[in-house]
Amino acid sequence: MTATRRWQIALVAVGVLLLLLGGLTLINDVNPKRYLGLAAWLLGALVIHDGVISLTVFGANVAMRKTGGRLRIPLPALLILQGALVVAGIMTLIVVPAALKKSIGTGNATLLPLDYGLHLVVFYAALAVVTALSLAVYAVVRRRRRRPVRSA
Amino acid sequence: MIMESLQTVLNGLRRSLAAPSRTPRMAVVIGRLLAIAFLLCFGTGLFSHFLQDPLPWMVFPTRPVFLYQVTQGIHITAGILCFPLLFAKLYIVFPELFQTPAVRSFPHFLERASIAVFVSSSIVQIVTGLLNTYQWYALFPFPFRQTHYALSFVIVGSLAIHIAVKLDVIAKHWRKSVAEPSTVAELVEAPGISTSSIPGGAATRPTLTSSHTRNAVIRVEGVTGRLFAWIDSTPRPEPRTSRRGFLAIVGVASAAVVALTAGQSFRLLDGANVFGARKQGVGPNSLPVNRTATAAKVRDAASDPDWALTVSNGATSATYTRAQLLALPQREVELPIACVEGWSQTATWRGVRLGDLVDAVGGRGGSSIRATSLEQNSSYAIMHMGPEYVRDDLTLVALELNGETLDLDHGFPARMIAPGRPGVLQTKWLSTLEVL
Repeated sequence: MTATRRWQIALVAVGVLLLLLGGLTLINDVNPKRYLGLAAWLLGALVIHDGVISLTVFGANVAMRKTGGRLRIPLPALLILQGALVVAGIMTLIVVPAALKKSIGTGNATLLPLDYGLHLVVFYAALAVVTALSLAVYAVVRRRRRRPVRSA
Repeated sequence: MIMESLQTVLNGLRRSLAAPSRTPRMAVVIGRLLAIAFLLCFGTGLFSHFLQDPLPWMVFPTRPVFLYQVTQGIHITAGILCFPLLFAKLYIVFPELFQTPAVRSFPHFLERASIAVFVSSSIVQIVTGLLNTYQWYALFPFPFRQTHYALSFVIVGSLAIHIAVKLDVIAKHWRKSVAEPSTVAELVEAPGISTSSIPGGAATRPTLTSSHTRNAVIRVEGVTGRLFAWIDSTPRPEPRTSRRGFLAIVGVASAAVVALTAGQSFRLLDGANVFGARKQGVGPNSLPVNRTATAAKVRDAASDPDWALTVSNGATSATYTRAQLLALPQREVELPIACVEGWSQTATWRGVRLGDLVDAVGGRGGSSIRATSLEQNSSYAIMHMGPEYVRDDLTLVALELNGETLDLDHGFPARMIAPGRPGVLQTKWLSTLEVL
């Protein structure tokens, strides 16, 4: 038996043990009436991620590359734009629930004390400025690289 | 016929999804970081769990006083960091979802099932964890703490199995290989090849997304064919630039989510905390509150002028009004309050040393205590404290906070504060202390 094989067996054993422990903990600590809700969340997570988010990202990526190709936008510039969209998207996913919960009300002035909606808008603006600057820097670097270097 | 066209669509999808950043090497690079983040969350989570529900033999360190502040700060920050890392990892391996045949054998079915469990429980874990820091419990139809605890074992268990299954791939791509870029370029730019033209053919079992065999077949027929042809005519990204771009994007996204939220746990980043669920210095006595007096339904009982703290040891007992407690020798300590929800802040507490009160009723060195709050219907209304905390010089029955009378929301008339314990065990609105 190779060392890799031994590691695999050990890892699977540990994994199965932990899965059993997780299952037992669930059975012991969570009321069976709640299983359906939990199952809906687990299934929903897969559907929303694999079925909605991933395909949207894929579609947006193809569309951007198509447009980029037509407009002859160089790949690094496209990547800077895509990066900005990804950063904005992830931040939106994290912050929008905070803004929503705050608007529903927390009954505690110290929980979610900031103006998340406003901060998010400012964040988008800052991100847009940083993206524009990065594109400008890239354009300058690209032009310099293309210009043949002449020595005196 | 249906199976065949389904297979064509799946193959087409997989091939269209191929991208220079979707390589086994990239899966290993991001996977390692994600595994570290998961294990950090698991370790710090277990620590927090056993602080709250200790096994009988457990004794905890009380120094450094910021221990729990740091472990729980890491727990929440690493959890938030999992958002960009998990999305990146799932992005890399997404084409695997469309592998054909969908199930090759029973072990393959187990592998895919374990990955489904792994992915969905990971997503649910980080999403519910985040929503918990917003105290948005109404959204989940299950109890947060118990489910979060049980799922953590499921996740780390599936992680171990996942590593075992992919161990060959992980070992092969642990270090950067020079040859890799060309294979990816081939993969991306191979529209017309069929399985039969590839040496070894479909018989060799390929791994992950860089395999030619499982990606190659596509026919330009019908609507799907035209759709794939349209996708295929998309300009090809240059592999090295794409990969670097992908890593840069993951890096920037990770830095952004950490920098703009971690100030709730780490004072150093307070200035950048624009998205954290808590803000340092915001709250009565310049300190955030986890559970308000109103939410705990203690406003009347805690404001009652006849309030008194009962300290008992078997038959011996003593009762102290707030004025009597204030007349005892006072001690001032600097201790952080660190919530299970990850926020923390150091504050100045003033009050009576718990050890002195225990001594006054004849408590011995190794005794623990049970503290009862005025709070109703809370699993934290009764708190047990081990001898390591009871006899610690810094453990107080606090009466003042940051130079002012303890606010009602912070546990007026008297609350517990001990070093290195979660905020939920720093019992507020004390009613009785029993020496055990």
